[in-house]
Amino acid sequence: MMLCAVDPGQVLMAVALMTGAGLLLGAVIGLVARLFRVEGDSRVDLVTELLPGANCGGCGKAGCRDFAKSVVAGENPPGKCPVSTREQASAIALALGVEVGEVVPKKAVVRCSGTLFTSDRVAYYSGILKCSSAMLVGGGPKVCRYGCLGMGDCARKCPFGAIEIVNNLAVVHEELCVGCGSCAAVCPRGVIAIVPAASAVHVYCNSPEKGAEKRKVCRSACLGCGKCVRKDPEKFELTASLARVKYSAPEVPDAAEVEAVGCPTGALTTIGAHYQAIRKGGTEK
Amino acid sequence: MKYLELTVGAALVYNFVLSRFLGICPFLGVSKRLDTALGMSGAVIFVMTLASGATALVYRYLLRFTAGGAIYDLGFLQILLFILIIAALVQLIEIVLQKSSPKLYQALGIYLPLITTNCAVLGAATINAQSGRSVLDATIFGCFSGVGFALALLLFASLREKLELASPPKAMEGTPIALVTAGILAMAFSGFAGLC
Amino acid sequence: MNKSSRDVMTFEGGIHPADSGKALSENRPTLTPPLLERYQVLLCENVGKPPKPVVKPGDLVGKYQLLAAAEGFVSANLHAPTSGKVVKIGEVPGPMGIPAPAIEIEADGEDAAAEVFPPLDDWRDTDPKVLIGRIADCGLVGMGGASFPTHVKLSPPPDKPVDTLILNGAECEPFLTADHRLMLEHPRDVITGAQIMAHILGVNRICIGIEINKRDAIESLETLAEGTPVRIVPLKVRYPQGSEKHLIRAIAGREVPSGGLPADAGCVVQNVATAAACSDAVLHGLPLVERIVTVTGEVLCHPGNWKLRIGTPLLEALRLAGGVTDEPGKIIFGGPMMGFAQRSLGVPIAKNTSGILLLTREEALRHRSTSCIRCGRCLQGCPMHLSPCLLATAIENGRWNLAAQNHVMDCIECGACAYVCPAHRPLVQLMRSAKMELRKRK
Repeated sequence: MMLCAVDPGQVLMAVALMTGAGLLLGAVIGLVARLFRVEGDSRVDLVTELLPGANCGGCGKAGCRDFAKSVVAGENPPGKCPVSTREQASAIALALGVEVGEVVPKKAVVRCSGTLFTSDRVAYYSGILKCSSAMLVGGGPKVCRYGCLGMGDCARKCPFGAIEIVNNLAVVHEELCVGCGSCAAVCPRGVIAIVPAASAVHVYCNSPEKGAEKRKVCRSACLGCGKCVRKDPEKFELTASLARVKYSAPEVPDAAEVEAVGCPTGALTTIGAHYQAIRKGGTEK
Repeated sequence: MKYLELTVGAALVYNFVLSRFLGICPFLGVSKRLDTALGMSGAVIFVMTLASGATALVYRYLLRFTAGGAIYDLGFLQILLFILIIAALVQLIEIVLQKSSPKLYQALGIYLPLITTNCAVLGAATINAQSGRSVLDATIFGCFSGVGFALALLLFASLREKLELASPPKAMEGTPIALVTAGILAMAFSGFAGLC
Repeated sequence: MNKSSRDVMTFEGGIHPADSGKALSENRPTLTPPLLERYQVLLCENVGKPPKPVVKPGDLVGKYQLLAAAEGFVSANLHAPTSGKVVKIGEVPGPMGIPAPAIEIEADGEDAAAEVFPPLDDWRDTDPKVLIGRIADCGLVGMGGASFPTHVKLSPPPDKPVDTLILNGAECEPFLTADHRLMLEHPRDVITGAQIMAHILGVNRICIGIEINKRDAIESLETLAEGTPVRIVPLKVRYPQGSEKHLIRAIAGREVPSGGLPADAGCVVQNVATAAACSDAVLHGLPLVERIVTVTGEVLCHPGNWKLRIGTPLLEALRLAGGVTDEPGKIIFGGPMMGFAQRSLGVPIAKNTSGILLLTREEALRHRSTSCIRCGRCLQGCPMHLSPCLLATAIENGRWNLAAQNHVMDCIECGACAYVCPAHRPLVQLMRSAKMELRKRK
């Protein structure tokens, strides 16, 4: 068997060459790195890693990286992010050595129950099927100027897919909603409210018009009759023919109370009952 | 005549991306927007020119030399050494870019260090070594190969920007239609064959 | 001068709508309707701030009496269309689809005029400032549809010198014939009004642009214009010739810069109806309370032109035309290209309502929109040299910056692109949504 003769000189030279080249280039890179050093805060990268990364804007900043910058700068507590879990917020707080910060969890609710079947259209609308575009044409095809147009601008905007359009009405699935507020910002009618997550009961109407006028154009509108307010003035309030749940009250109404009040049009109802009714066509009684 | 082959040949006829199919990774990765494509093109031309020059120099004078009476033929170190040099060059560019244009640095992201392991750059260096060109010729070859890469990248980026506004069938949206477009672009470039 | 050999001016781009529909009403002389029992005068009939009411419910007013005073410079006075009692100041259905504030007057049947302004027969020797004041006092606004307060338009900023006054007698919208009838029936008012405006502006170049489908109006005005500095310029029949930027292009040969106003091209453009109203205001001291309105459509019994007072409800106007023979597909205030479809029959006429158009069901039918086929018709038709197809794609994909770069803000919403699009794309709505979005972001 013939073995290749390995010339030790060659091997040595090869090793020397590679080592030399490596050392030389390493030195050059080191020098250049020193000269062109960029002052950056690596903590921002760390916090960005720990955040959920949904870039929903719920914190009020332009994306997760922006929020990370504000947390590192001390402007916002980690808990301000509505999407991150308690564990995630705590991890960030631990990494930076700051307080987590208590933030009340919020949810979105579309305060309208006027479906295709219960609320009137003023005309046949043919055009771009977007709520903002429909508003350009005589204020939209619904007679009620305050109700949901149901063309899905909010559903398309929601980064968590929490909004469903049922029978031409937008409904928020609260188990998927984190209260980031993107939907409320994009709704041209202002029909979406961001409320404390604990509230399970809402008045699903947005029109301040007189009760009789509302009734003419929508069978599931709030009449402003005041039954709910009379029953429990601590938890409900009435302004301009429109009843509202007092979200800031220490206690919020529950399903039993809704039963007890007995809203004549079904505008006051629980989230679950509202969804079921809308699926069937509307909350009119 | 030789220079025609080095310049037009390297850029068009034997285009690195569309004829040799090297460097597809940054070609597909950075071509979503024209401004990042422009930045990447600049970086690649720079790296390819310098890398071709440096590696040609190294190949000619460092890998085959006589010292102290003995002949050292270290041609087998070619790939190792070339990669080392290319990696160092890209690292230098990264450092300089991070300081001078942070936006471009962020936009290029992972694709900048990917020029290191990019077969296009190593390919240019190896082709030079194989052809036994002079250092000057090798540098020119590398530079115009980079120009060819840039041309293909910019063309593709412009097409992709327009594709974003189009509405292909759902199954073709995104990468599939981009790949088909790249294929058609390669077919177009095959028309240069026989030019020189 | 050999009139027939004169060149007919025009501009680049634009379209030629198939059937002008003007035959329905262009030969019907303007009629004056009987007095109504109630007039609901819209409060805001001008661009700018709405005027402030100076009357309250229960007040008795005479015809031409001031109902609301202008708020600030860019605003206009509002006067009573007849004598009677102010019943209430409330909301009525507005022409834009949303309820609008209006002053409701119950007519007493007398139609007694309140004191009007003194006539200014010697307007040629009067200080322009006095004349502008008179125009402002009389509540004049652009009657072509823009409703921009006339006294503001006639006061261009001093850093923008003006040398040409152009009157818009083009009436390029199909179906509308109000301006045509005005030029046939009150040509002297138009010429005098033009001269008064020119005196105010201090210009000696006055041109009235009239499309050549109104030959009788051209001849009638030319006869009266002889001996005056007013020139009648025949224009090729092309939509949107009546747009002020395109009148300037066709008549003065100048281009208003992107994002600019006519004053940037040294011109002021006014509608012929506004000029006639100006003549009434200066020579007779009469505030603006009525105008010629074309009430037309195949589905009406007697389409024609009426001199309607502001505050006349839409329903009454339709009654004048004898009602309908079939259910209309759409009721439009204005023309079919740029008018606004109405949601209610209770909407009242305003100073800028040039026409009421009823489209039949077939005419109002909108085809389903499909994908752009890159035919390029919209590019040929756009009078502002934009690319509606590119803009529409950018807007659909939410690429607002791309749309802004391609000058979507210069779109005049004329509807030429949507009219010619074979794929029936909602181009104008897309442009309007982009403009709305870009204004929000500014």
